[in-house]
Amino acid sequence: MRRLNLRSWKTGVILAAAVAGLTVAATTSFAASTKPVRVAIMTDCKGGFGFGYELDIGGAQAAFAQYAKGKAKNKAKPSAGMTGINVNGTPIQIVGYGCGNDTVPLAVTETKRLMEKLKADVMIGPLSGDEAVYVANYAKSHPTKTFIIGTAGSQDPTLQLAGKNLFRYHGDGAQWNAGIGEIAYKKLGWRKAAIIMDDYSFGWTSGAGMIADFCGIGGQITKRIFPPLNTTDYAPFVRQLPPPNQIDGYFSAVGGTGTAAMLKAYEQAYGKLDPKKFVGNLFFAFLGADKVVAPKVVGAYVGGFGTAGGLKTKQAAAYRAMVLKTYPKLPTDDGFVYNYYNAGWALVQGLQKSGGQLGAKLNAALPRSIRPGFQVSNGGVLHLDANRQAIQDQYPLQIVKNKDGSIGAAVVGFVPNVGQDFGGLFKKSSPPPGRTQPPCKKVKTPWQGKIKVVKNGVITNQVIK
Amino acid sequence: MNPAAWTRRQQLERAIAFGALVLVVVWPAVGSSYWAHTILVQTFFYGIAASSLIFLSAYGGMVSLAQTALFGIAGVIIGNLATKGGPGGVSKGLHLGWDPTLALVVAILMTTAIGLLFGLVAARSAGIYFLMITLTFSVIATYALGQVTNISGFSGIGGINEYTPGWIGDILEHPNRLYYLALGVAVAVYALIRYVIRTPFGLTLQGVRDDPIRMSSLGYSVPLHRTLAFGFAAFLASLAGILYVWWSGQIAPGNVDLPETINLLAMAVIGGLVRIEGAWVGAFAFIIIQNYVRDFHVPGLSFGGTLFGGSFNTIIGIIFLVIVLVSPDGLMGLWGRIFDSRRGSRWRRTPTQRGPSAPGRGGETTAA
Amino acid sequence: MSSLASSRPIRYLPRIVLAATVAFALLYVLVISSPPPVEGGSNWRTTNFGSAIDDPGSFVRVLLDSITFAGALFIVASGFALIFGLMRVVNMAHGAFYLLGGYIAYEIQQTMTGQGFSLSGTEVNTWEWLIPLAVAAPCIAIVGLAVQQSFLRWNQGQELRQALITIAISVIVADQIIAHFPRTTSGAQRFGGNAVDLAWPGWTERFVDFHFSGVTYSLARLVMLAIGVAVGVGLWLWLYRTKTGMVIRAGVDDQTMTSALGINIQKTFAIAFVIGSALAALGAVVWTSQSNIASGQDGQWLLNSLVVVIVGGMGSIFGAAAGAVLYAFVLNFSASYLPTTGSNCCTQYSPIFTFVLIALVLSFRPQGLFGRGG
Repeated sequence: MRRLNLRSWKTGVILAAAVAGLTVAATTSFAASTKPVRVAIMTDCKGGFGFGYELDIGGAQAAFAQYAKGKAKNKAKPSAGMTGINVNGTPIQIVGYGCGNDTVPLAVTETKRLMEKLKADVMIGPLSGDEAVYVANYAKSHPTKTFIIGTAGSQDPTLQLAGKNLFRYHGDGAQWNAGIGEIAYKKLGWRKAAIIMDDYSFGWTSGAGMIADFCGIGGQITKRIFPPLNTTDYAPFVRQLPPPNQIDGYFSAVGGTGTAAMLKAYEQAYGKLDPKKFVGNLFFAFLGADKVVAPKVVGAYVGGFGTAGGLKTKQAAAYRAMVLKTYPKLPTDDGFVYNYYNAGWALVQGLQKSGGQLGAKLNAALPRSIRPGFQVSNGGVLHLDANRQAIQDQYPLQIVKNKDGSIGAAVVGFVPNVGQDFGGLFKKSSPPPGRTQPPCKKVKTPWQGKIKVVKNGVITNQVIK
Repeated sequence: MNPAAWTRRQQLERAIAFGALVLVVVWPAVGSSYWAHTILVQTFFYGIAASSLIFLSAYGGMVSLAQTALFGIAGVIIGNLATKGGPGGVSKGLHLGWDPTLALVVAILMTTAIGLLFGLVAARSAGIYFLMITLTFSVIATYALGQVTNISGFSGIGGINEYTPGWIGDILEHPNRLYYLALGVAVAVYALIRYVIRTPFGLTLQGVRDDPIRMSSLGYSVPLHRTLAFGFAAFLASLAGILYVWWSGQIAPGNVDLPETINLLAMAVIGGLVRIEGAWVGAFAFIIIQNYVRDFHVPGLSFGGTLFGGSFNTIIGIIFLVIVLVSPDGLMGLWGRIFDSRRGSRWRRTPTQRGPSAPGRGGETTAA
Repeated sequence: MSSLASSRPIRYLPRIVLAATVAFALLYVLVISSPPPVEGGSNWRTTNFGSAIDDPGSFVRVLLDSITFAGALFIVASGFALIFGLMRVVNMAHGAFYLLGGYIAYEIQQTMTGQGFSLSGTEVNTWEWLIPLAVAAPCIAIVGLAVQQSFLRWNQGQELRQALITIAISVIVADQIIAHFPRTTSGAQRFGGNAVDLAWPGWTERFVDFHFSGVTYSLARLVMLAIGVAVGVGLWLWLYRTKTGMVIRAGVDDQTMTSALGINIQKTFAIAFVIGSALAALGAVVWTSQSNIASGQDGQWLLNSLVVVIVGGMGSIFGAAAGAVLYAFVLNFSASYLPTTGSNCCTQYSPIFTFVLIALVLSFRPQGLFGRGG
């Protein structure tokens, strides 16, 4: 090895200074052209929701292609990028895709990378609830930037934090489960139920939606069980549930990788699972590919995701066609695609109205109502409430066996105009959903008795009895 | 500090250090803002956390995986004490709304006390057992922060950077203040560690590292010294944790889980577990890799990802592996070998390899 | 080395406190606790099922849950203990091997049972469970051997360095698994390390009647226990009744001497690593059939193995068994018998409780229950 041969430390200082000068030059970013609007799409590429990466990007970019002349670089791979996006003369540049993993630390570094290093003006995203709480806090301290939530289901960002530059064009985790408790009471005849939910904020929020509906119509939640996240063996928690002959049914808000594990543990404790005694949240619908567990829950009612797969309305058909034009293989009825599409479309509408201006002008110009594919109420118009949170139609589902033998979810109900506050039950001053929140109280939900039956994708006039 | 008495290597090192220090002091004025307020600030406070780990490993002979947990605990404590809003409501936590300076002092004291408690429990283990028991602390911290929703909960506590002490002011408006504060604390921590290792306590600690049986037969209490060292390292980790929550505003269980613990260990190992300077070198290298490797694709071997279809974690894992295989003393060890290869002797401050409990034992003579 | 005062009565104080606490816990579970009162409300004695005297059936079920889970833990942890005990290598990639083994077995079972959309237990016969195992275990054994020969053979004795090497390997392997598995699913569930599961053979979907207080228990879980016991007996026979086993035990006790006696210690290390990795794969097949497998579980199972080995003491099969039993019992019993004062407390805190207990065990006996020396 060569031996470094320096005469004095002064040479070292000069050397260091030279290196430093070069580094400064290399890292100082060139002043970005102020004309294009810089947009970042924040999603997950790892962790429990890593599969949402292409879906989210595809959804948002499909909206840009449809309404802002965007051209996809690769029709099979949305993350390859999109060029030529232009809103009435204002170009939009997609500066980067965030890659989170459903935890806060990565959300922090990704948000800073997108907003500060890549200098994005607008963020569409994030994907998951805990990341959204961080982004909502970040939004409050960066009022000149705009944030449109992707598909996050946490309640806090718009109910508690509610920054003026934060928008959500879809329901939260509690809203997604609107109506399912009433269906359990009326169609399954449940009066007493137990609920098992993941011991963290999404589990509680999702469970809150079920509890509010079920207790609102007169049902009783007799037991609440909370397996911690990352539980290896669900057996001790499943044992705490009352046996099936002592209870009418079980609500489940166990998600991620725990759904299948919990259901298998249930079968080993109590015998074959009766789908009429189980009501799950959207994670039951995600079980579709699990060949061992999904067949066991065929026939169970599950909470939705704000989407209505197979809905046969003109607005829905138009939406599907528009997405498939850009990305022919993208699953249009998937919530990840749908919610990011609506976010992208809202951004385009906002830029049209503000004439390309950003900051407070864009925040004022972003639409307070849009026409998303699966909205039917108000003539197909979805309104935002005072906290810029969507009041969205919800569609409870049922797990069914498709004609080709695959397991999917069919829409069975239509719940109109579900607001985040559940008719006053959730307020900014009320404690957030938790282990004891909300309590089981007979507080009527605004849609009680108004849930319509949906058959084969058509909303009938029949109300669920 | 007589420059004439320095060896060539010390001259070079000190020159580079001086140059680097001047550079980071003037950086906010001349360099990119993203580098200043994301990369360099993170280097400063993650370097402090890594230095607590390296202090314990280089001078105490204990590789601790609990530093991340203590880092997070300090953040949670100050989050609970300083933020306002009442329990529940805007975000989880107690939101006691104390004066931020008082909250700062209490957070540091409480974390140090918790560190001393951990140390008391772990002090009689050594080597791999110590590693494992500190890993257990890390797991307890993750579960406690996640499930005890009164103090944190899974989304954690947010908005902490709105409640900084008056003498710092509003760091959201003036991010340079946090930059210089972090830089100042990092320099102070470095000086403090260099001072402590020369005190009688530090020397005894190094004796305990080298040969606990002999030290104990000389009358020194080995568990006491280890416990105190652990408490000191907890103090350092708490400083890093508080700077982190002022930088990011949010602390959550995801900040103290197993991947984060391994990240901090990776920073320390990449820098080198034998020299304190390695903490900041390793932190800087790790953050650069994390930031820039994401967009890096190995030509011909990407398969749709960065390497063989994987994400940047594969690259980080490979870099980590290469460093441990080639130079177990990390980048600082490589640097040291540039100078000592002719003489064939190791840089003197490497802990002598005696007993099964010392880290990095043996094998250095065969490495390239 | 105790820092406590050396006067005799006080020296025993911690042990007395420990014994009293254990005795209280046992009495609480067996006698003291009471079921929730019908009219609501609770006190410090209220638990989900009441005491063993109030509800012996539930007690027996929780007992069986614990011992069967201990069986699964033992299978995975024994591989880890073997490697740790003999080679002093903390194989932090053990969890990654577990994950890879589980996914490979899943792919094989999916291929064997056709590409239909459902897989009920009755469609799975014993071969369709055994063959995935027979493919996955050797695959992981080969991976383990490759890792050991390439990265761990030449730096024997440098414990920390080997731990760091295996950490790096675990990061790489876990990330690659996310990129390439699962493969035989469709659509959005493909790749990404998504959750998939294996099915037990159909004949295990029955309940066994214990003829005691109405207790019927799942046969699948008992099969899991049987496999664990078989692994334990097999390991014992191998270690204590064969020549290779004798060499391994000698190596655990004194490596230098064993190699000085002319025994090829490198070959023994390789065999131990191979068997240890294969056990990780076996454990993965068993637990994936019982529950499921997903990315992220490698960290969970590495932690489980570490805890079992640290608590039980390294270097002996009895230690691994004792550690597995203690860990499983504390985890399961605390999830069922901690007081329930309402939804906020306390059974969901069972992991915290378990780990605090483990830290305490380690503070009293750092080398583990059956460990030898520090």
